[in-house]
Amino acid sequence: MNTPEFQGTHLFDRLCWAKENLDGVQSDYRVVYEDSIDECAKILVPDPNWMACALQGGILPPVEVYHELAKDEAQPGFTKHTRGYLLHETQPIDAMTEEEAIEYLIKKDCPQAVWKTYNEGNRLKLVICKKEQLPQTREWRNAWKIDQDLIAA
Amino acid sequence: MANGKIKADTLEHSTAGSLDTSYVVNGSAKVWCAFNGTGTIAVRDSFNTASLTDNGTGVHTVNYTSAIATVEYAVTTSHQENQVNCCYVGPTVSSVRVDSRNDAGTYYDINHKSAVAHGDLA
Repeated sequence: MNTPEFQGTHLFDRLCWAKENLDGVQSDYRVVYEDSIDECAKILVPDPNWMACALQGGILPPVEVYHELAKDEAQPGFTKHTRGYLLHETQPIDAMTEEEAIEYLIKKDCPQAVWKTYNEGNRLKLVICKKEQLPQTREWRNAWKIDQDLIAA
Repeated sequence: MANGKIKADTLEHSTAGSLDTSYVVNGSAKVWCAFNGTGTIAVRDSFNTASLTDNGTGVHTVNYTSAIATVEYAVTTSHQENQVNCCYVGPTVSSVRVDSRNDAGTYYDINHKSAVAHGDLA
């Protein structure tokens, strides 16, 4: 199914179209990251309907739009978005592979301090894995950390 | 939309009266997400959700695709177990954290957990 021409269409309306016309895609990928040395590792789980939009193309805005909005949200005294139009008026991006979609999601929903410096320092703080590689039970969940031996692997 | 567009400010029923379409637009949930909070964390179904973050036992964050305009919006959380409490914490315009605890106040993983947000979109 081809995606309609959506530039200028409200992102919410595009998502309505996707919900009606696309089947969700459950990704096996998970993103494990550490954004605080005092906290356990966090795990980012892609949403199946969002993944369907990413694989379809022509629906989601470029990830840089979210970064622009994040700058506004970080301003002291932020109360309301005044540049929401960026989400709706920026040309939607083409179809991504599942791997490209995960990269997009990392840049959208992981803290910038993590993904911008993921390869700096002497400690691994971000790993993309398959869900089968995570512990099979959630026992001691709050003690989960990234295996630093992966650096050598 | 691909199938055309109907623009109307009012819907009128033959006998039951009329309704401003703004009630429909403003009253619809802008985000919803139902997910597994145990085992392999996964989104069961959703709308306007980009991802889910598993922050640790009983603590999850729903990340939105289309942001809400202001932080002054309403969030409803729910779960499927007795003797468990579920609440939201510090919503931002682009995400909301959903916590669940047992009656002792300890963070607790729940199988069926959900969050719904009502508000104005950015």
